[in-house]
Amino acid sequence: MSKKRYAIVLDTRKCLDCKACTVACKAENLVPLGTENYRNWVSEGRLRGSYPRLGQEFAPGQCMQCGNTPCKRVCPTRATGVGAGGIVTVEDKKCIGCKYCMTACPYNARYYNEERGAVDKCTFCAHRIEQGRLPACVETCPTNVRTFGDLNDPDSEVSRLLVERPYRVVKPEMGTKPFLFYLI
Amino acid sequence: MSAIATVIRRPGEWAWFGVLAVAMLAGGAAVGYVFVAGHDHALNVSRQIPWGILISTYVFFVVSSTGLCLVSSLGDVWGFKAFEVIGRRGHLLAILTLLTGFGVMAMELNHPFRMVLYAVISPNFSSPIWWMGALYGLYLVLLCGEFTALMIGSRRMSFIFGLAGFVAAISAHSNLGAVFGLLEARHYWYGSFLPIYFILSALVSGGALTALIVYFNHKARGISLSPDYERFMITVGKLQALFIGILMFFIVWKMIPGLYGKPPEKYEATMVLLAGPLAFNFWFFEVLIGMLIPFLLLINRRTLTPFGVTIAGLLCTIGIFFMRYDLVIAGQMVPMRESVAEGPAHLLEYFPSLAEFAIVAGAIAFCLFLYSLAEKFLPMEGGHRH
Repeated sequence: MSKKRYAIVLDTRKCLDCKACTVACKAENLVPLGTENYRNWVSEGRLRGSYPRLGQEFAPGQCMQCGNTPCKRVCPTRATGVGAGGIVTVEDKKCIGCKYCMTACPYNARYYNEERGAVDKCTFCAHRIEQGRLPACVETCPTNVRTFGDLNDPDSEVSRLLVERPYRVVKPEMGTKPFLFYLI
Repeated sequence: MSAIATVIRRPGEWAWFGVLAVAMLAGGAAVGYVFVAGHDHALNVSRQIPWGILISTYVFFVVSSTGLCLVSSLGDVWGFKAFEVIGRRGHLLAILTLLTGFGVMAMELNHPFRMVLYAVISPNFSSPIWWMGALYGLYLVLLCGEFTALMIGSRRMSFIFGLAGFVAAISAHSNLGAVFGLLEARHYWYGSFLPIYFILSALVSGGALTALIVYFNHKARGISLSPDYERFMITVGKLQALFIGILMFFIVWKMIPGLYGKPPEKYEATMVLLAGPLAFNFWFFEVLIGMLIPFLLLINRRTLTPFGVTIAGLLCTIGIFFMRYDLVIAGQMVPMRESVAEGPAHLLEYFPSLAEFAIVAGAIAFCLFLYSLAEKFLPMEGGHRH
């Protein structure tokens, strides 16, 4: 079996800003209450035009599971690592709460989870992937904004989408090589 | 009571130790509150601004320590005679400010005890914070060695420890600049400027603090300055004028690239200081109190007196405290995702909590308390080369 490289491809034109992905994630991953505690989010783009001709985009996001990880690089105790499929992980017991990874992440994808006593972030629901299930945010989305899969498999849906459609990544200038791809 | 009476002999000292005690009690209570209520409730740091006044105060203390070490070593390592009188006091305060700085930082960390364990058994050599711990640890050992050498009056030992300490101070402190400067995500911090700037600003801190300890020491004892100390004060004053001059040059060149062509995120952070929420801190405390007034006092022959140098040192120290705060906070006020910030400026907000203020006040008082005790019980005069 070849090595997997997980990715999520997003078609933001389908996003309704219903935030079901955020709710599903919070429930699935026991994210504590509080507006600052979340593993994924929906960014509201700027409102375009004026009434009645208006337009706005919504862009869901989460940890980009970068190929070049600033968070892992700066963690003084190697609490942050990269696991199977390229998923960026946090080993709770090693996290000292210095929050250096939080200042290093250009996506603000991390928060300090008081209940776990460690910095927390999206893991693509690694525990579900192990069972052959989809990440909670992918499964729950009513309009299928997110497509999850293995980029090392040329026949996967994510590989096919990235061949057929042009896409962008967030803050490419940071050199983080993110694995969340936004279809244009 | 009798133990207190042996420490405190003059009425002025009652007031001094009383103020320190109140501040330390407040700090101690705040530390207790952090442990009981948790960081989430006690501190005003957030997901977007995870580093607050405790980190900037930590930086302030270790800048002070580095500066004290560098300036104090001018006599014992580099052979500037006028600086030999400051050797013991300078190095002692360098140790105390470093330890206090560590203490303040530990309050910002969620798990300081885990750090002690996992920094050793699971080190990440690519992390500037790991290097910060290692280099400051080494620096602390060398400072203690240097202080011991000065106390027992060993010239050879004090030279060796002093030189090694000097190198460790430069390494540790420039690396602290790199803790911020290696974050590509933070445009206001990123680059080689901060490691260099931190060394320069340490010199300003060191000059200011050595002048303060000499002056207030004599004042507290009610004795006038000996010719040696008089010479030290004037020399450090002249040197301080040079340091502040270079610092102003640095600040100007920090600001210009932040404005020129409005580079994204860097421009917004620069404007936070020049005309935004931290503008008063910047113009009043950093520029006026921290640099302009002290510079004018020190280049004017009429005010280049021990008292003038002291006032300049006091103002500089206050200014530098704000420089650290503004640097740490401004670097985080521009959000990583635009939509998380409210308001037309799209900036994040942070203001320290009461507990954070109390910890800062308590830490400053604790450091001064330990130093005052050392002055009482340790022979701080002499020990330098004659």
